[in-house]
Amino acid sequence: MRKLISIREFPIFVVFVLFYLTAGLGNHQIFTTSGLHDILFGSAIVALLAVAETLIIVMKHIDLSIGSVIGFSSYLIGKNASEGHGLFFCMSIGVGLGLLVGALNGLLVAYFRLPSLVVTLGTLYLVRGYFSQVVGGDFINSGQVPKLLTSMATHTFVKVPLLFIVSLIVALIVGLYMRNMRSGRDLYAIGSNHSAALLAGINVAHRTFWAFTAAGGIAGFAGAVLLARYGQAQANSGLGIELNVVAACVVGGVAIAGGVGTVYGAIIGAILLQTIVLALGALGVSQFWQGVVNGALLIAAISLDKILSMRSVRTQIMRKVQHD
Amino acid sequence: MISVKNNLKQLNQNLTWDKGVGILLVLTVIFGWVMTPDFASTSNLGFVLQDIGEILIIALPMTFLIIAGEIDLSVASTLSLASSTMGYAYRSGLGFGIAVFIGILVSILCGAINGFLVNYLGLQSLAVTIGTMGLFRGLCFVLLGNQPVNQLPDFWANLGSESIPHTFLPWSVVIIIPSVIIAWVVLHRTRVGRWTFVTGISAEAARFSGIPDKRFKFWLFVATGFMSGVAAFVYTLRFASASPDSATGYELSVIAAVLFGGVSIAGGFGTMWGVLFSVLELGAIRSVLQLINFTANALQMVSGALLLFSVALPRVIEMLKTRREARVKPSVTSLTSSRSV
Repeated sequence: MRKLISIREFPIFVVFVLFYLTAGLGNHQIFTTSGLHDILFGSAIVALLAVAETLIIVMKHIDLSIGSVIGFSSYLIGKNASEGHGLFFCMSIGVGLGLLVGALNGLLVAYFRLPSLVVTLGTLYLVRGYFSQVVGGDFINSGQVPKLLTSMATHTFVKVPLLFIVSLIVALIVGLYMRNMRSGRDLYAIGSNHSAALLAGINVAHRTFWAFTAAGGIAGFAGAVLLARYGQAQANSGLGIELNVVAACVVGGVAIAGGVGTVYGAIIGAILLQTIVLALGALGVSQFWQGVVNGALLIAAISLDKILSMRSVRTQIMRKVQHD
Repeated sequence: MISVKNNLKQLNQNLTWDKGVGILLVLTVIFGWVMTPDFASTSNLGFVLQDIGEILIIALPMTFLIIAGEIDLSVASTLSLASSTMGYAYRSGLGFGIAVFIGILVSILCGAINGFLVNYLGLQSLAVTIGTMGLFRGLCFVLLGNQPVNQLPDFWANLGSESIPHTFLPWSVVIIIPSVIIAWVVLHRTRVGRWTFVTGISAEAARFSGIPDKRFKFWLFVATGFMSGVAAFVYTLRFASASPDSATGYELSVIAAVLFGGVSIAGGFGTMWGVLFSVLELGAIRSVLQLINFTANALQMVSGALLLFSVALPRVIEMLKTRREARVKPSVTSLTSSRSV
């Protein structure tokens, strides 16, 4: 039991359950399977992007360009599909775009040693600007979306929406990689102490570069999920989603200070944010409060994390003093 | 030949980043003049000044913040919240002057919230201001819903659209010019300015040398909130409306401008001249591009490219320098000669 409590994701899971129960008492709709379905369906995209962002935040970096990448990728996939190309080809273009932007971010951050915040802010602008230029007033409607994608959005497996299962599979792969592979553990080492990681012989630049590239690739892949979910793509697809993603990660225990957190926590964070959105709607609170709640939750999460970590450091020091 | 080489070296040493941006500004203006005669028309210059007004007003305190090693991503949301508050207060029947006063009070409060969370709870300013960015923006929608406030009193709306009589200058320069002068004097000529640089280079050293770093940075955030409120006033008058989605993306333009002006994102370096030149340069480029029929999307790309370019170029120069020095080191004669440079 003590072991269970000491898991980093435990408190956030408790918060989620409490929130789910209180919201459900206010509106029984949420307790039904369709309520659960709505929560998982709505959080699939943010959850998938949060997996990519976890790779980056764990290294004490940040990637703000994913919102532009997912939007552009969803448009490219839809556009190529409407021109009669096969789904595999379209997907490769979307993922390829993500890999390209990710590699550019990685190059500038890892080898030029530039701050990731500034670099990804720049690529956010660049990609979104180019995307809007290419799209103009054009948009992809549901008729142009590949049939396989639209059917994925409507189907479920054991009552769980397929889109969420896609996110879960990606999360599982990345989660196992970060937990068990040596290069995955290196990401944590880089995030908790950059110079110690260098001294320990980790090829920091190499790892950083590939982590950014992989995150970009996942964001490109997520473009297909975005297209499947909304059945459309236009110039403002995915606009501003990066803030929800960072919020989901931080709420899910992936500390912005680097070195801790898992993709599973990030996914629970994404689900919690979506639950709050739906619960507010079900309780009759105006949808305008959604942004306020997201922002407040992000600040509450980092404050709580800081206070808890300060306390644990203090108890360690106290113990040491008593031993001496 | 040798003297030419020496002169070049001299030039190379004296050419700092901020002066480079100034030269680039002059080149852009000349280029714009040659490309389209409209560029140098007084009405267009007035338009450029109006176009960059809010960005310049917020860039001033942002320069202080970034030099001091912090950042504030919530400025555009603060601007929008202050503007929405002005609109809301005016719509509920208060006089417009009082509404502006309340709006600016709200923006000061926003800055104080950021300052408190960063300095007294010890949180990272990047994470905090990503949070407050969403929070303040959300509050705008809570206040106004989807209805912008459009009917401002004629007197104020005219101030926003007309220029000062007998000149081409927009009324906003009445706020902008004194602000720039004050910001320059404070940063480069006062103790508070020295504190800014010292805290940016090492917060710990600053604390040990008796600078009240937390209180100081708290007031920097408050000042940023206040200037965002002032920018909100200018913005509201310029568009003669208060809407919850105002100034989206301005935080990126402001930060891009400050960094392009030669302020180091790591803190500790930067000049007010550089930032002033850089904001003007941004306005000039935008104007030239608009006049030769580029779209708004292209402008967004230019901002992004400028931002990347302004952080990447100094690093490339630095890397080339260290590489050259590493190559030069083994030979003693070249070492002494490189010293004398």
